[in-house]
Amino acid sequence: MRVLVYGCGELASGAVRELLQDATQITVLGNERSQLERLSSYPKVSAVLLAEPVMHDYLMEAGISQAQAFLALSTDDHENLLAAQIADRMFGVPRVVCHVENPQLQVIYASQGLNVVSYAVGILQDIRFAINFD
Amino acid sequence: MYIVIVGCSEVGFYLSRALAATGHEVAVIEREPQRYQVLTESLGIIALLGDGSDPDILKRAGVERADAVVALTGVDATNLVICQIVRYMYKTPRTVTLVKDPKNEPIFEEMGIDVVVNWIHLALGALEAGVPGQPLRHLMTLRQPGRELVSVSVPSGADIVGRRLDEVDLPPGSFISLVVKKGQATLPSAQLLVEAEDEFIAVTSTGDEQLLYDMLTGV
Repeated sequence: MRVLVYGCGELASGAVRELLQDATQITVLGNERSQLERLSSYPKVSAVLLAEPVMHDYLMEAGISQAQAFLALSTDDHENLLAAQIADRMFGVPRVVCHVENPQLQVIYASQGLNVVSYAVGILQDIRFAINFD
Repeated sequence: MYIVIVGCSEVGFYLSRALAATGHEVAVIEREPQRYQVLTESLGIIALLGDGSDPDILKRAGVERADAVVALTGVDATNLVICQIVRYMYKTPRTVTLVKDPKNEPIFEEMGIDVVVNWIHLALGALEAGVPGQPLRHLMTLRQPGRELVSVSVPSGADIVGRRLDEVDLPPGSFISLVVKKGQATLPSAQLLVEAEDEFIAVTSTGDEQLLYDMLTGV
């Protein structure tokens, strides 16, 4: 399986390490050179450095038209939503996952059929439980 | 009409003033405190201080009753999210934005934004028109990313002058869609004779512009 990972922060790096078992090829797109160099030292992992805000070109360069999965996991909610929607609607990538930090955005985009994950939602749930328990 | 403008640097500022002057009700969301202060105190524009991509701020600006929302934050991705929030959550009937990356223009249209203005293209078109002897002009970006409509004027010494149109080589995927001869538009037929000063309206890939230009104007 060919996977594109958008972002190179902690969440994205964690996902890359997790994918090393199953994916046949992983391409990471990010704007931190040192982090990209570290990640591309893994076998099967290649990297594309984002230097300018030209999303479509970078996604093409990273081979989005052959990707079976696209994970938008950068620290910027808006960039993730743009990238994930391009993958989903312009390139028809079969599996698209988009991370957002803002739980309100998760609700809005999930209702539009985008596969959105947000750890804030889980944390809020945990907090609610914690408060109810005493 | 009631119009909410998100982001009020140069373009937003002049737009809000122009709309207010023509009798529209305008509210501006600006996250820069200094600019917000200038807008409200010196210029009397109704403004909200805050992040215009926050659904709560948008609601406070009254997007539920707005006839149009214009996203002018200067960041393409943020503009997209603002337009989509107001469309999905608050059913704003018309969303308008300005994109920087020309390739985002057809993408944003596909994603349901009503009017996508591409300012690089507007500026390029106007600047090119003002440069004398510039024979290639960008007319517009087509819906499919990476495809453009351009205009090329054939200079008098060009190789293709005197040839028939079917003898003119073009980059693969580029097509002449209209020929303007002495101000008269004609459909391109195979027998059409190329003359100096002819203007070709052509569809091409963004990467092939230079090649197309060289083939049509080469000496």
